[in-house]
This record gives sequence, structure tokens and C-alpha cells, in this order.
Amino acid sequence: MVIQFIADHNLEALLERLRRYGELHAPVLSDDGVLRFAALTQGETSDLSALRTLLPPKKYLLHPQETILNYSADTGYQLPVEVAPPLILLGLHPCDLAGINYLDRIFLGDEPDPIYAARRAALTLIGVSCIPDKFCSCQQMISPLKALSDLFLNSLDDGFAVTSASLRGDELLEGIKDILEEREGEMPEDSRRFFGHVVSEQLRHELDLTLPEWQELADRCLGCGACSICCPTCYCFDVLEFSGLDGRSAVRVRQWDNCLFKSHAQVASGMSFRKDRAERFRYRYRHKYRGFGALQGVPSCVGCGRCRVVCPTGIDLRPLTERLEEVRHG
Amino acid sequence: MRKLRVAIAGLTACSGCQLSLLNCEDELPGLLEQIEFHYFPMALSPALLEGEYDAALVEGCISMPHEVELLQELRRRSRYLIALGTCAVWGGVAALRNGEDRELLRQQVYGLNPLACETFNPQPLQSLVQVDAAVSGCPPEKDELLRLLAGLVRGALPVSIDYPVCTECRMRENLCLLTERDILCLGPLVLGGCGARCPSMLVPCEGCRGPVPESNMKEYLELCAQKGFGRLTVLERLHRFCPERKI
Repeated sequence: MVIQFIADHNLEALLERLRRYGELHAPVLSDDGVLRFAALTQGETSDLSALRTLLPPKKYLLHPQETILNYSADTGYQLPVEVAPPLILLGLHPCDLAGINYLDRIFLGDEPDPIYAARRAALTLIGVSCIPDKFCSCQQMISPLKALSDLFLNSLDDGFAVTSASLRGDELLEGIKDILEEREGEMPEDSRRFFGHVVSEQLRHELDLTLPEWQELADRCLGCGACSICCPTCYCFDVLEFSGLDGRSAVRVRQWDNCLFKSHAQVASGMSFRKDRAERFRYRYRHKYRGFGALQGVPSCVGCGRCRVVCPTGIDLRPLTERLEEVRHG
Repeated sequence: MRKLRVAIAGLTACSGCQLSLLNCEDELPGLLEQIEFHYFPMALSPALLEGEYDAALVEGCISMPHEVELLQELRRRSRYLIALGTCAVWGGVAALRNGEDRELLRQQVYGLNPLACETFNPQPLQSLVQVDAAVSGCPPEKDELLRLLAGLVRGALPVSIDYPVCTECRMRENLCLLTERDILCLGPLVLGGCGARCPSMLVPCEGCRGPVPESNMKEYLELCAQKGFGRLTVLERLHRFCPERKI
């Protein structure tokens, strides 16, 4: 087949071209050794083979703390004006693309979130193939989520095969035409193949609350919240309202929450639906590996491995999947 | 609209919490339009308790008989009594040597000179009176103080935080000092709300905001042991800001 190919020596030119379409962000290794999605300044390069940034790209769509409503005594509650300039995200691996696909289903579904929608519309996604490491589990869990991007770069020996998967991708492809070459060759497989599948019915089965594993997990959890903060699909948020000093205004904010926190399932009277951490782990597991509500049967784990990497005590929920199967089949 | 009538008092402490409020220079004129700081000895004279208060904000712990009287008086006169800062909430550094012989401690500091007044082991406010809300920190964050006052103007108490320093540290996409640099950081055990101020500057959390609810001490000590930090080292560090809490 004919492949649109960009050679390694043309990558710098590619970055330059992409900047014409918006601010370019890609994984950047900081001086303190943290890999983060950040603005790629002129002359800076990004290691596209690096596996996982500390925070996933969700940080561009949902900020850790952000105003969702402004109140004033004169005008009542009003949506903030969301100015989202075009942003090109380069270097997204299939798991992160699937993560964005999940967030899209949540925030652009039946009742689109205007802030999310504005930011999402401003994003151009450029995926890159990768080689899973020991923390990755995309290859073990077949996901119904789709690893969709505008452009995708598939790593070859001396460059990348470039494919478009959207109108915006076509436009970008047209804009970089002169630094591409046509090559005859086979398109290698990439991790996108683990996504976009129909999942089995068994994901709908309920979980046994009496399993000792829930308590074992709870005993090891420090409650630091890193697992959900670094998860590409954890979107739970808390809503708070702060009055203004003038006594006539207020802001309502949402901030990232974690289902293992004490207050996550707590209601106004102080009563909690999930009092102890063991129950909260069961809830977390359900959401990550079974899905619930309108997305029942759609696991939200995309196998990026971040939660396992950042957990101070190395908690891993994956072995539970096998254990639960054992229990179910006696 | 009637102004919020507030009393601000300092007991045994460094006055840093009250100073943090006075440092909100840009916001003070606006605050004065909403709030009558009726009793605030550190900033206003004369300082006389008079009538009732919508809220009393109290910094420091209690260690002298006249502080007991003042605190009880403030409690009687106020709808809300709010503990301001770690000393008021947990005892703080003033309570560090509560386990030791007070007469000996007195002699170490003042020699054989008689003291002007009697003192006792410093205690957090809640050991004596009912505390309606607490803003922890050494000192509390400026934003927290302003939010507290703005909320009180609307009749609301602050929402208590239940997550540790780590949460905000990871939100800021920091590397983890404890797990990735093997530095003794108390982040997992300590109440957040500071925006991970210290770890963001590569300084480990010293625990100034006091313990987070549901802290997992056993597992934390286990993790520290793996990093080569003994139980005593960890407990001593943890003890610094909330010695009155049994660990």
C-alpha cells in the first residue's frame, strides 16, 4: 500500500507547520524529571516515544479547579465566557485518545457541558503509536472506547506513517503535503487495535460486596487521590460556591474529586452512602471496569497505567478482574 | 445591610494568623464595607468586648487563666466561634513540650525569676469551648481567610477539607518527593488546602495544617520504613504541629 510518510529529519518542519493551526502542546520532560503536556516552544523537541505524562490530556478539558457559574445580585447566575484558542495536542497515545473519547461521551452526551464543549472544539488531536510497557494494560483489556484522533503518526524505522481520520486531519495533511513523501509499504499494527470493540455481556454482572479484597485494598490506600487525578477518564468533581467580598456576588466552582475521599458520597446531613474505604473501592472498581448509569457495560479504564505508577503503595486493581471471574464461576 | 460584627483575638501564638489577615491589603477596604471589626486588639484600639458578635475568630491555644476567661467571654457573645490557624485547632508548636515538667521548662526559659502569671499546658480551643469551624494552617492561606470572611457575611461557615496535601500536589503535576525522591514528606497524612505550597518548591510537607481525616498511619509508616525512615523519626515530625493529638 501507499503510505504518507514523514521522515525523522522533517519532524522539526512538521512542528513548525502545526504551529500555524494553533498553540502546539506535546509531552515535555521538565528539569525536575516530570513528563508533562506543555507548550512546545520554538526549537524545543518532544520525545514522541515517551510513554506517559504525569497528568493526562484531560487537564486541557477539565481544569483541577474552575469557575462554572458567576453570580451577581443584579444578573443572577451566568455562565462564564469560555475563550478557548485553537490548541494542537501532539503525542497522544491510543489510551489517551480513548480517554478523551470517554470524556466526550460524558460531557458532550445528552446535556453538553458548555465549558467542556468549547475547549473540546478548540482541540486538534494528533496521536502517536507506542510500545506498551509493564504498567500498560491496553493489550489485556479490550475496550469499547474509540482511540480517535485527527491525525495519527505511526512509528516506522526512520519516521512516521501519517494518516488522517477527520476533516481537520485532512486539512492538516494538505498543509504538510510538501514535507511528506509517498512510500510503498505495510502499515504496522498499533495500540489503537485494542480499542473500539464490542464488549461482552458479563461486564454487566454485579460485584460481590463480601470479597475480602475490597478491605485489603482499603488497608493499603493512603487516600492521597493521585489515582483519580492522574486518570484520563476520572471526571468526578465536587461543586463549591464561594461568596465575593462585596456581599453581592459569588462564584460556583467545580474541582476534581476522588471516589476514595470521605466526602465523595457524603450528603447534607453528614450521612454517607459509602462510609468506609472498602465500599469506595468496590465503587471505584465498578466505575473503572464495569461502567454504570448510561454507560453501563462501558469500562472507563483505558489501560494507561498511570494509577499504578503514581500510587504510593502500588495498588493495582487489575488482578481483581480475574479474581471476580473465579468467584463468578465458582 | 447591617455589617457583620466580628471579634478577632489572639491567645498563645505568634500572631501570624492575624497578621495574614492584615496582609490582605488590597482587600481590606472592601472588607471594611461589609464587616465591622469591633474587637481586634492587634489592629484596633481601644479593645473592649461589647455586645454580641456574629463571629469570633480566635488565633492561638490556651495556656493562661486570663485566656480561658477571654475565650469563654468570646464564646458567650458570639454566634460562631472559629479556630484560626493550627495552634487554635491542634495546639500547634506551643504545645510541643506538653508531656514535660512545666516547672523545669519554666526555669530553662526564665531562670529563677518569678513569672507574672500562672501558665498551664497549652491546649487547642476545642478542649474548652465549642468550636463551630476551623481554618487550619501555619498560617492559614490568605484566600482561605478571605473566603471565610466573605462566607460569614452571607451567614455561611467554611466547607471543611477532607483530602491531603498530595491531592493538590498531584493536581499541580508535581513529582512526588516521598516516592520519587525518597524525601520524608508528610503530604499523605496532612490536610490539604494550601495548594501544596511547600512540595511545589521541592520542600517536603512538614504537616503545618494538621492531620487529614481517615489518615492511614499504618501503611504510611510501612512506606516510610521501606524508604529508611524509622517510626520515631516520622512520629516526631508529625508531632510538631499537632502534639495534642494522640497518634
